[in-house]
Amino acid sequence: MSFGAGVTPFVPLLLAFAAMPSIAEENFSFPEAQAVLKTYCSNCHAGKTAVAGFDLEKFGTMESILEAPRKWNRALLRVRDGEMPPKGAPAPPMEQREKFVAWIEHSLRTAACADGISAGPAPIRRLNRNEYSATMRDLLNIHFNAGQGLPADGAGGEGFDNAAETLFLSPIHAEKYLEAAKQALDYGAKDPRSRARFFIAEPNENMSPEQAARKIIEKFLPRAFRRPVSLEDVERHLELFRAAQTRGETFNDSVLFALQGILISPHFLFRLEEPNPSPEPRLVSGYALATRLAYFLWGSMPDDVLFDLAAQGKLREPETLTGQVVRMLKDAKAREFAESFVEQWLGTRELGRDIKPDAKLFPEYYDAEIRSAMRYEPILFFQEILAQNHSLLNLLDSKFTISNNKLQRHYGLEVGKLRQQPVRVELPEGSHRGGLLGMAAVLAVSSYPQRTSPVLRGKWVLEAILGTPPPPPPPNVPELEEAHGGAVPKTLRERLMQHRENPTCAACHNRIDPLGFGLENYDVLGRWRTEDGGKPIDSKGELPDGTMFEGPKELKAVLLERKDLFIRNLTAKMFGYALGRGLTMEDYCTVEQVVGQLEKNEYSAHTLIQEIVLSVPFRYQAGMARPTSEEKAP
Amino acid sequence: MTKPSFSISRGPISRGPISRRTMLRGAGATLALPWLEAMAAAPAKTVSGQSGSPVRMAVLYMANGVHPDKWTPTGQGRDFQLSPTLEPLQDLKDDVLVLTNLWNQATKGGEGHYVKTSGFLTSTTVTKTLGVDINCNGVSMDQVAAQRSGKQTPFASLELGIAPVSTGVDKNVGYTRVYGSHIAWSGPTSPLAREINPRLVFERLFRAGRPQADSAKQDMLLLDRVLDDAAQLRQRLGAADRARVDEYLSVVRSLEDRLERASRPEQSAWQPRVPLGAEAKPAGIPREHAEHVRLMLDMIAVAFQTDTTRICTFMFGNAVSNQNFSFLEGVKGGHHSLSHHQKDQDKLRQYQLINRWHVEQYAYLLRKLRNMKEGEGSVLDNSMVLFGSGLRDGDRHSPHNLPLVLGGRGGGRIAAGQHLVYAEDTPMANLHVSMLDAFGTPVERFADSTGSLTGVLV
Repeated sequence: MSFGAGVTPFVPLLLAFAAMPSIAEENFSFPEAQAVLKTYCSNCHAGKTAVAGFDLEKFGTMESILEAPRKWNRALLRVRDGEMPPKGAPAPPMEQREKFVAWIEHSLRTAACADGISAGPAPIRRLNRNEYSATMRDLLNIHFNAGQGLPADGAGGEGFDNAAETLFLSPIHAEKYLEAAKQALDYGAKDPRSRARFFIAEPNENMSPEQAARKIIEKFLPRAFRRPVSLEDVERHLELFRAAQTRGETFNDSVLFALQGILISPHFLFRLEEPNPSPEPRLVSGYALATRLAYFLWGSMPDDVLFDLAAQGKLREPETLTGQVVRMLKDAKAREFAESFVEQWLGTRELGRDIKPDAKLFPEYYDAEIRSAMRYEPILFFQEILAQNHSLLNLLDSKFTISNNKLQRHYGLEVGKLRQQPVRVELPEGSHRGGLLGMAAVLAVSSYPQRTSPVLRGKWVLEAILGTPPPPPPPNVPELEEAHGGAVPKTLRERLMQHRENPTCAACHNRIDPLGFGLENYDVLGRWRTEDGGKPIDSKGELPDGTMFEGPKELKAVLLERKDLFIRNLTAKMFGYALGRGLTMEDYCTVEQVVGQLEKNEYSAHTLIQEIVLSVPFRYQAGMARPTSEEKAP
Repeated sequence: MTKPSFSISRGPISRGPISRRTMLRGAGATLALPWLEAMAAAPAKTVSGQSGSPVRMAVLYMANGVHPDKWTPTGQGRDFQLSPTLEPLQDLKDDVLVLTNLWNQATKGGEGHYVKTSGFLTSTTVTKTLGVDINCNGVSMDQVAAQRSGKQTPFASLELGIAPVSTGVDKNVGYTRVYGSHIAWSGPTSPLAREINPRLVFERLFRAGRPQADSAKQDMLLLDRVLDDAAQLRQRLGAADRARVDEYLSVVRSLEDRLERASRPEQSAWQPRVPLGAEAKPAGIPREHAEHVRLMLDMIAVAFQTDTTRICTFMFGNAVSNQNFSFLEGVKGGHHSLSHHQKDQDKLRQYQLINRWHVEQYAYLLRKLRNMKEGEGSVLDNSMVLFGSGLRDGDRHSPHNLPLVLGGRGGGRIAAGQHLVYAEDTPMANLHVSMLDAFGTPVERFADSTGSLTGVLV
């Protein structure tokens, strides 16, 4: 069987564009937007001498704007980030700026969806460090972290380290791969459990060493390359065995030498899919789909069940696919997924790295058991939601969490039976816990080492939960907190209030700070407190739209009212993680579709994963790229 | 197509030969022309410092800038007094050059940190992106040197750090944090991964220093197989994917190349004076920041002393590092938070203590190199160790008047022992030009350079 054979070319149905709920309720009309452009932009961006060749006179109609999506996307980012209009030039007030940005974004995405959902790019990528370790573990059945010597990977796109665009290779990688393969194989060859996985033949009177080696390689190679292999592939790797035999190596060492060659091959280290030569998109092969699925939900290679379904051609059937999602989410390997996704989404991976609570003020953090329970609470909580198919709104507020005795005590909750391992705990009334916002890891990662910060926590809620990060502060203004001047105010709240009297600061901080104040009852390590430094905690907040709340319980209710923002943000993050790349404008059509399904299905966790797996970008390969009209233009 | 950010001088200079392999390992197609020029250059000749010893180059990068009023020495030329922050260099005063008024124009704007980190040694403006079109639009100064001289040592260069690459992308400002975690770029789209575990660094140095011809040959056989696989594979791929496979091809080639040289030790031009002893092996990543830093600096010294590499970059922390410095007497807080002092006297005091601590570590490395005898002098005499930050005042994020010190005598080429004050906004790229010259890999131009930096070279 050849790789990718038997694929029926299939053009995805043109999906009617579902009306996209806009973030800014009152959207601009085209004339309103034009007025903004005329007032603030056309001084520089008009006519033959238009700066950067961005000539607004060429964009007199909506159609002309939609025909140049890339240009306008760039414009949108520059206006959103406050780079345009440039410093010193008159700029629109914050509210008008946001409406304008929402208008461009909405218009571009709407237009992108009108053509139906496209598959989008699926660039080849190497396995990241975690994927490499997990793949070696499953391939060789070893319990040893083969990738520990590799450098960590940076993140791109939606903020994950599985993004193709930022998986670079440095000379150090080649060296480490060579070494890690040797180390892992040596380790595996000595451990009987592991050895049985790949040393499936030994030479005897009926089998020559080469015949035995061939058997081993024939079994090993397709699993390593995650696809069927040709006779030629086997032959090529058998040559390494022969070379080792010629120089007098034992059968054992010769086989290991050949296997080492396989483990540094680009076919193993990279996720490769047979390129689609046709101009039309097509379903990926069963093996490629098994691989996409396995790295999404397990961060590792497919298992035998997935390989078998791929071989039988069944994996591409939607019912099989959704059934496999459920099976995979219940498997222990879903931990890799939960850990990788949650820690990068919430930023808790930095806890213990760049973000460390002060050792003198918070010695409790340096208790290994507490630290580990803190770190794993959001991960295990998310894994539980996935495995049990709970509502994703549990992430905002829930009646349970996953903790152990020490963490329970840390939270001031009653402790039941003696246990070190974290387990599911039903939360009593008035526990001040439930949902991500009551978790120590989240509260610590949004604090300074010495003290809590309403600004950092507010910013964290806007970014991680609502997906509406505030724009960066204007250049050369002090960092978020504690602007001085005039009489020195006493409390942090007073200082922040004064800060917000400055209209430039107020535009964003009116949105940021109140959310953080709602969490002031939690200290740096997430413990409940009613006073700080002898002063009672004031956890009242008022959002720019006049919504008032006090304390985390009411704050969570406020966030639940904005669940559409949360769900859209979570969906986009998950989709970016699943695809391993940054989302394109077209991808937001899929995001909206998935959000629609979630609304209809009580926000069930399985719906999120299944709808993503069934989506066009996840299952299809784009056709050979043809330049768009915009790219063709000089 | 972007223009190369540097051009190679045609003068009568000694430079290593460049093979086809090195060329492939080097930067992308944008650099093809300068490389071809270099290939046609003079025959191999070891770059020599005093007493035939090679010149080494290191760059130590510090995040978050400095307290601007406590950095600049008073006085000029040879007659100057070190500032409070630079005071730990007192016993090394004759071995350092303090450089005032250099700036990095290309890193103005963008945002506060990431642009100023990736652009520190490239003097270019990075492309604003969350990842998809990541590009530093240049090659870092150390890599320009490494690509031309690297074949003379087991490692062309060594990239070291303390913190792993920062997690995530910064949606707030619209940049991937990859930019904040790298100062060494071997090509516009190739940031070099750093080793942060001192034990692993040691093991690499150790192995590279004691090649075993047999295992090197076997490894080369494996690598040849990989190269075949990759070469076959690339023909079936589209352009973007092909670039990724080429990246793999080039890193595998560079390893093969190294093994090949290692298996013929008699080819090495300069015999290291000091072999690497196994007793110097660190245990792993220590919990204490200060200890971790010291161990990494030890590795730089050892790598230079044993001539395992001649080029090294080191990052004390990633951009925006909020490393907690409460371990210092009188400091309570994170590095980045304190760098936003808002002229608050107490914060400024703490910020300065953190700056000074970094200078102490720098001094530690310089002293260590000074204590390593080499010929008539020391390893420090044959080294150039640049210390600095990509911004001046952490509260203002401005790349004017960058805090920069160059230590060592670069094999007698550097006129150490001075405070050199330049005209305001003299390009830092001029310093890169001078350092590349002293290293033996001169360029006519580097990014926005306007020439070499007067007074630096003897």
